[in-house]
Amino acid sequence: MKLLGTLLWIAIAGVAAFCLGGIAINRGEHISSLWLVLAAACTYAIGYRFYAKFVAARVMGLNDKRATPAERLRNGHDFEPTNKWIIFGHHFAAIAGPGPLVGPVLAAQFGYLPGTLWIVIGAVLGGAVQDFMILFASMRRDGKSLGEMAREEIGKVGGFAALFTVLIIMVILLAVVGLVVVNALKGSPWGTFTIVATMPVALLMGFYLRYWRPGKVLECSVIGFILVMASIFGGQYVSQSASLAPVFTWSAMTLAVGIIVYGFTASALPVWMLLAPRDYLSTFVKLGVVLLLGLGVIFVRPELQLPALTRFVDGTGPVFAGKVFPFCFITIACGAISGFHALISSGTTPKMIAKESNALPVGYGSMLLESFVAIMAMVAACVLQPGVYFAVNSPAGVVGASPAAAAAKISSWGYAVTAPQMAALAKEVGEQTLFYRTGGAPSLALGMAHIFAQSGGGQAVIGFWYHFAIMFEALFILTILDAGTRVGRFMLQDLLRHFNEPLGRTSWMPGVIITSAAVVAGWGYFLIQGVRDPLGGINSLWPLFGIANQLLAAIALSVGTTILIKMHGAKFMWITCTPLAWLVIVTFSAAWQKIFSPLPAIGFLAQAERLQTGPQTAATATLIFNARLDAAICGLLMVLVAVILADSLRVWYGILRGTSDARVTEAPFVLSQLRAEEL
Amino acid sequence: MKRLRRFGELILALLREIGDENAYQRHLDAHGRTHSGAEWRRFSEERMRAKYARAKCC
Repeated sequence: MKLLGTLLWIAIAGVAAFCLGGIAINRGEHISSLWLVLAAACTYAIGYRFYAKFVAARVMGLNDKRATPAERLRNGHDFEPTNKWIIFGHHFAAIAGPGPLVGPVLAAQFGYLPGTLWIVIGAVLGGAVQDFMILFASMRRDGKSLGEMAREEIGKVGGFAALFTVLIIMVILLAVVGLVVVNALKGSPWGTFTIVATMPVALLMGFYLRYWRPGKVLECSVIGFILVMASIFGGQYVSQSASLAPVFTWSAMTLAVGIIVYGFTASALPVWMLLAPRDYLSTFVKLGVVLLLGLGVIFVRPELQLPALTRFVDGTGPVFAGKVFPFCFITIACGAISGFHALISSGTTPKMIAKESNALPVGYGSMLLESFVAIMAMVAACVLQPGVYFAVNSPAGVVGASPAAAAAKISSWGYAVTAPQMAALAKEVGEQTLFYRTGGAPSLALGMAHIFAQSGGGQAVIGFWYHFAIMFEALFILTILDAGTRVGRFMLQDLLRHFNEPLGRTSWMPGVIITSAAVVAGWGYFLIQGVRDPLGGINSLWPLFGIANQLLAAIALSVGTTILIKMHGAKFMWITCTPLAWLVIVTFSAAWQKIFSPLPAIGFLAQAERLQTGPQTAATATLIFNARLDAAICGLLMVLVAVILADSLRVWYGILRGTSDARVTEAPFVLSQLRAEEL
Repeated sequence: MKRLRRFGELILALLREIGDENAYQRHLDAHGRTHSGAEWRRFSEERMRAKYARAKCC
C-alpha cells in the first residue's frame, strides 16, 4: 500500500513537471487549457502533501491535543469550534474577491506563461505559506489580529505601520474596483440596468429578512437570486428599447459620480437594509460561479489563443506599462500572494478552528483554491483572440480614439483585429462597443461567456452569459465598496475621537455623515482621477494597489519570520524569508520604477514632467498634481515598509544574538476536551 | 448514497454558516432563547456590527 502511494505521488509529480515544462517550452501553437489546469492541480497537490505538511508537522508542530481558542474561549458567537470543511468554505469565501479574477486578466498582456508560473509557484511557496503561518500564529494567540501581532512581535512601529498601510490599501482598492465597474458599464444599458436593478432587489431582501421572514437567509437569497437573474433579462429588454436604452446609457464620468453617491449613501444606511442581504447573495453567487467556471474549463477544455509570451514582456504593453519583471508580480497579487489575506487569517477564521491540524486545509488549502480561481481567470482571458483581448483592454490614449485607428494599431503589433469584427462581437453580447473597456472585467466576462456558451446553449446565449458575468463581478465589487467605506469610516472615527469625542461616536449621525463623506472623498478622488486619466486609469491605480497589497504581505511575512525565529532560531526562517525577500525585491523595484522611471508611461514623475511641457490648462494641472500624488503615495508605502523591515531586522538580530527577548507569546497549553461528535 | 447525502448535508451546513443561520442557532442555544423576529434582529445587529467592522478581502 505504501509503495502504491509512493508511485502515485511520483506520477503526480511527473504530470506536474511534464505540464509545467510543456507550457514553458511551447511556442507558436495553441495549447489546450487543460495543460494549465493539470500543471496547477498537480503542483498544488505536491505542495500540499509534502511542503505544507512538513511545515505543519516539523515547523509549527500542530498538535490536536492542544485546545484551540475556539474551544477554550467558546462563547457561541465568534469563538466556536466548527467543522473543518465548513470553515474551509467560509474562509475561502472571505478571501476570494475580485483580485484573483482581475489581476491575471490584466497580466495576460505578457502571455499566459509568466502569470501562470507566478500564480502556481507564488501560491505554493508564498501566498499559501503566508496565510497558513498567520492563521497558525493567530490561533496560538487567542485569535489576535495581524496589527496586534505586529505590535507584540516586532514593536509599536510595526503595528502602526500595518494599520496605516491597510488604510491606504483600502482607499486605493475601493477606487480601483470602482473603476473596474465604471469601465464595465460605460455605454452599456444592459449592464447598467442589471446593476441598478440589484439595488432594489437587495433592499427588498433586507426588509424580507428583517420583518417578513426573520432569519431565513438561504430562502431570502434564493428569491434574491431569481430576481437578479430576471434583471439580466430585463437589461436585455432595456438595451433593445429605443426609449429606455438612452436612459441607461451612461458615460464613464456619470457612472463614477453615481458610484460615489451610491458608496456614500449605502455606507450611511443601516447594514441590514442593503449591505448584509447583498453580501449574502454575492457570496453565494461567487461560490457558484467559481464552481461553474471550474467545471466549464474542465468540461470544454478551450484552446488558449494568446501566446505563451507576447511582445509586451519588454514593458511597452497597452494594458499597463512596465516589463514582465517586476510588474507581472504586482499585477497578480491575490492569486499568488496577497497581504489582505493575512487580515482574514487573523480575523474570524482562527476563532473557529476546532483542531490545530485543521489550520492546514483551511489556511494553506484555501489559498491553493484561490490560486486555482486565478488560473481559471487566466484561462478565460487567454481563450480570447489576442487582437480582441487587446482591443478590449487598451485605452484610447494608447491605441487611438476611433475603432478603425485602434484596430489598425493593434493589428500593427501582430495581433490581427478589425473594427467590423469587434462590432459583430459587441452586437453578439448585446453591447454598443467593446473597445477601450479597460479594467479586466469585460474581457473576463467575454472569456467566461465564451466558455459557458460552449458548455451549452452556443452563441445564442453568449449575451446572457456576458451580462451574467458582469453582474457577478459588479455585485461583489459594490459590496466591497460599501463594506470598505464603512470600515474606513470606523478607522477614521477611531482616529478622530482623540481630537473630537463626538466625531468618534458611531451612533452620532453628523459624525457618521462627515467621516463617511471623508472616506468616500478619498477613494472617489482616485476614481475620478482614473476616469480622467488618458491612459485609462488602470495603468496607474492597479500597480499602486498591487504594490500596497504586496507590501502588506511583506509585513505579514515579517511577523511570521519573527515568530519562526523565536520558535526555532534561524533554522526554519527561510520558509517565510524566501517569499519575503522576493516580495521586497519585486515591490521595491516596481515602486521605484513607478516613481522614478524616465518613461512617462511608467514613472509618475516623468509623466508629470512631460505634462508640464505641453499646453497648460486646468485639466493638465490636475493631471500633473495626480501624477505627483501617486508618486508620493508610492514613496510613502516604500518608507512604511522599509521602517517595518528595519525594525524586524533589528529584532531578529537581537534574538539570534541573544540580546533580545525570544519568548514566544503563545497562549498556554490546555488539553483539548473536544469530542469528535461535537463537530 | 450515504456519502452523497453526507456531502449534501455538508454543503447545506456550509451555506447556512455563510448565511449566518448556524451562528443564529448557536446564539439561541447559548442563551436558551427561542426564535422570534425581535431575537433575530438583536442577533443580526450584533453580528453585523462585528462583521462589517472588518474589511472585505480584495
